[in-house]
Amino acid sequence: MSPYQISPNDPYYIDFPARIQSIQIGMARRGIDVYLGSRLRTLSWTIDAFCPWRSFVVIPPEGLPTAFTFVIDASRVGDDSWLDEDHVLGYAPMGGQDQVSAISDLVKSYLKGGKGVVGIESGMAPYLPEGNLTHFEYECFQAALDGSRLVNAHDIVDELSLIKDQGTINRFREASRLVDIGHQVVLETIKDGAYRGMTETEIAGIAGYAMRKAGSEWEWSFTGGNEIAAGYRTGLAGGACTPASRKPLLPGEPLMVDLHAMFRLCLGDHSHNYLLSPATSRQRWHAQNFVHLVTLCLQTYRPGISPSSLADEMLAFCEEREFAEYMVPGFEHGIGMMGDEWRIGMNDGPFPYWTNPDHQYQKGEMLICAMQYACTEENIGFRYENPILITETGCEALSKFPLQIEEI
Amino acid sequence: MEELKYLGSEWTQEAYRRLREELTAEKMKFVTSSMLTIYHDCPDGKDRALYYRFEKGVIEDVSIREGQFPDAEFRIIGDYETFAKISRAELGSRSALMTGKLKLQGNMVKALSLSSVVDRMNKVLATIPTEY
Repeated sequence: MSPYQISPNDPYYIDFPARIQSIQIGMARRGIDVYLGSRLRTLSWTIDAFCPWRSFVVIPPEGLPTAFTFVIDASRVGDDSWLDEDHVLGYAPMGGQDQVSAISDLVKSYLKGGKGVVGIESGMAPYLPEGNLTHFEYECFQAALDGSRLVNAHDIVDELSLIKDQGTINRFREASRLVDIGHQVVLETIKDGAYRGMTETEIAGIAGYAMRKAGSEWEWSFTGGNEIAAGYRTGLAGGACTPASRKPLLPGEPLMVDLHAMFRLCLGDHSHNYLLSPATSRQRWHAQNFVHLVTLCLQTYRPGISPSSLADEMLAFCEEREFAEYMVPGFEHGIGMMGDEWRIGMNDGPFPYWTNPDHQYQKGEMLICAMQYACTEENIGFRYENPILITETGCEALSKFPLQIEEI
Repeated sequence: MEELKYLGSEWTQEAYRRLREELTAEKMKFVTSSMLTIYHDCPDGKDRALYYRFEKGVIEDVSIREGQFPDAEFRIIGDYETFAKISRAELGSRSALMTGKLKLQGNMVKALSLSSVVDRMNKVLATIPTEY
């Protein structure tokens, strides 16, 4: 018996059967008989379980979907998912049970005469665990589903998952609350010079323990869990990815603490920055620039603006304050349930599978407000990340940890 | 005891008798399920299936089926010769599955939990003097 028990009255309830039905409506509109999802974001969005192994979800024209994952993890995925054990199956290198045979047998059972139109997920991404069907998988499924037509259909899920429902928003709020607990514990641990003798990895671990103790499932980011950078690593040119290293925390250096917590597949992601005392007036100038920019950026998000219009506005401010050269010229990335990271909106921009710079934000969209300041020649940089929800007139920043750059 | 023709009616009756006699409900893990082993290319050129049904660990049915096969929770499909080799202990059933000589249809997670039960059944069936 699965312990999956979230009633509709639960703040974290998501109506997954309704999600499946909405996909099935999209399939019918497009003449797709069966949808074969393979992306991590699709798995999370449809079955409500984390699938670290190569997994698939088969969505028939009507009725429940069936997920397939590597057999060593199938029981656990079934236990976490809202689906019952007959709809979460394992695959293994065994006659009839390899992923292509097992999945294509099920797909064919939904097709009249064993033939029809099968929606697949194809594309590319800068995010490694995206999970598009590989070329080899495509060829195998095409051969196993001889006579059927495989069509790229990921935009059905992309469109449906764009505006977040209340359960998802509440889960994101909780994940941000957990991240804030991690930040508070880090601050308490390193303040008053107590950081001396510590390393980046240690800070990552302290935060990880605090967040998990409070209920976080893991430090979800594929970029190395909690990203910690000290000293010159904060100012790596264009750098917005710093898996914690063994570098010690030293007086006079900046410290960047970018924490990730997960709550029911929804993601906390907040970066906070410090100056390890003693700080110079020049370091304080950089810090002030950054705090002012973040404040302005959070005040600017609202429905109707686009990534490019926001970037223009922010970079004009940076130029006016004479620190534009230190800014990475991007101010956000997409976010959704586990596996949905990086691209914002639909795949309709000038560069395939990258954010459309003219995408217009709508109420109910969620993204990570993200900024990277890097002054390489002075070995200083700062990062801001915070999940934000686009509201009627602006945005709600989900992490509430006070925005400032403390000298500690 | 004289050898019984593999998958013949006498062999099937003997299989049913021995399985019920030697495998207690506890040894059968009190399982409720059904299984169909489908034999392609039997010596007379036909396809046949051996159908098993268990109720709370008690073997309720072991019967040969031809033509339209019944539904079953698990289907194990292979050539007659492959099954015969397994029965003669010339080939392991796991090896046959892992090399694709046998094909399993059904929920693999459940099948894994029942693999020890199937092993016990195969051991009992292997004791029947059989003519292939």
